[in-house]
Amino acid sequence: MFINHALQEINLKIVYYGPGLSGKTSNLEFIYKHLDPKIRSELITLNTKEERTLYFDFMQLELGQIQGKKPKFNLYTVPGQVYYRFSRKVILKGVDGVVFVADSQKSRMGENLDSLLDLEKNLIETGCTLQDFPWVIQYNKRDLPEIETIEKLQSRLNFFGAPFYKGVATKGHEVLSTLQGVIEQVIQKIVI
Amino acid sequence: MSEKQLGNGQQLILSEELYLKISKLVEKLTTSTGAEYIVFCEVNGYPVTHFGDIKEVDLPTISSLAAGNFSATAQMASMLGENDSFKYLFHEGEEQNLYISNVGFNFLLIVVFRVEVALGMVRIYTKKAIASLGEILENANQEEKESKEFLDLEFKTLLSEELSRSLKL
Repeated sequence: MFINHALQEINLKIVYYGPGLSGKTSNLEFIYKHLDPKIRSELITLNTKEERTLYFDFMQLELGQIQGKKPKFNLYTVPGQVYYRFSRKVILKGVDGVVFVADSQKSRMGENLDSLLDLEKNLIETGCTLQDFPWVIQYNKRDLPEIETIEKLQSRLNFFGAPFYKGVATKGHEVLSTLQGVIEQVIQKIVI
Repeated sequence: MSEKQLGNGQQLILSEELYLKISKLVEKLTTSTGAEYIVFCEVNGYPVTHFGDIKEVDLPTISSLAAGNFSATAQMASMLGENDSFKYLFHEGEEQNLYISNVGFNFLLIVVFRVEVALGMVRIYTKKAIASLGEILENANQEEKESKEFLDLEFKTLLSEELSRSLKL
């Protein structure tokens, strides 16, 4: 978090984390399309030729004034593929809150777990752990066949009882409530 | 504000006094280098202050891209066995050049200048300005307000309402 007293700005960094193709970029794309252009920046995507995230996606959400203060939320995604681990470490630097976008398909449980452990490992390196860090889980792709039950996903992935959402990011289901959820977790952590 | 490297979830608070000093130096540097514009931003890409003709360039976007660029090369420096990040990044364009340098651990300076301007001059003036900025940050008044004084429970409630309105939930 960065506070600029002179401009009354509060800057916070939210990172969308998760395995490759779980829907992190789809979350940002929906937020970008849905929100009034007056309160958001352009959506920047740094993609490979195959349109997979190479480095990160970025957009800023700027709410109006609250008690004379201007909260700004910088939203980032990380590349999910295993071999981009250093890029993920770089993007996680200075993070204030995380949305873990899990793929609900049964075949992706292993990748979800690997990515979650990778997140925990990277957070520990900066002195945090998932247990005391503001984060939420979005179980994405709930419209696909062959998906795990929420109970099973919860028992395998949500071992610290983080708030969770049942999403279909491509259609915008629960995308905005996920965003609101993580922002509230971040602010909660600051004011308490 | 102490000049130390911050971890995740930690807070960096810039006082009004510091902001004014930094802004003045950025303005002076822009004039002395003849740069198109200069952005002073936090190392995670939050713009702090800028000066010059920034035209249509989106400030949060250029700051976040410069921060990402700098962080990535810092990681490369570490892989090569360098103790610190590279001192600066330089990108040469057809009409404009881009010079990025860190100011201590927590800030970056982004200088955009036309190709007619000599790189050597930009380097010299920027190096001097970074030394002055470093001094300002190092000697800054340590009595910082806690973020809890800045953000309270009422703020949280109002933010929640504003989020619901803006996100149309």
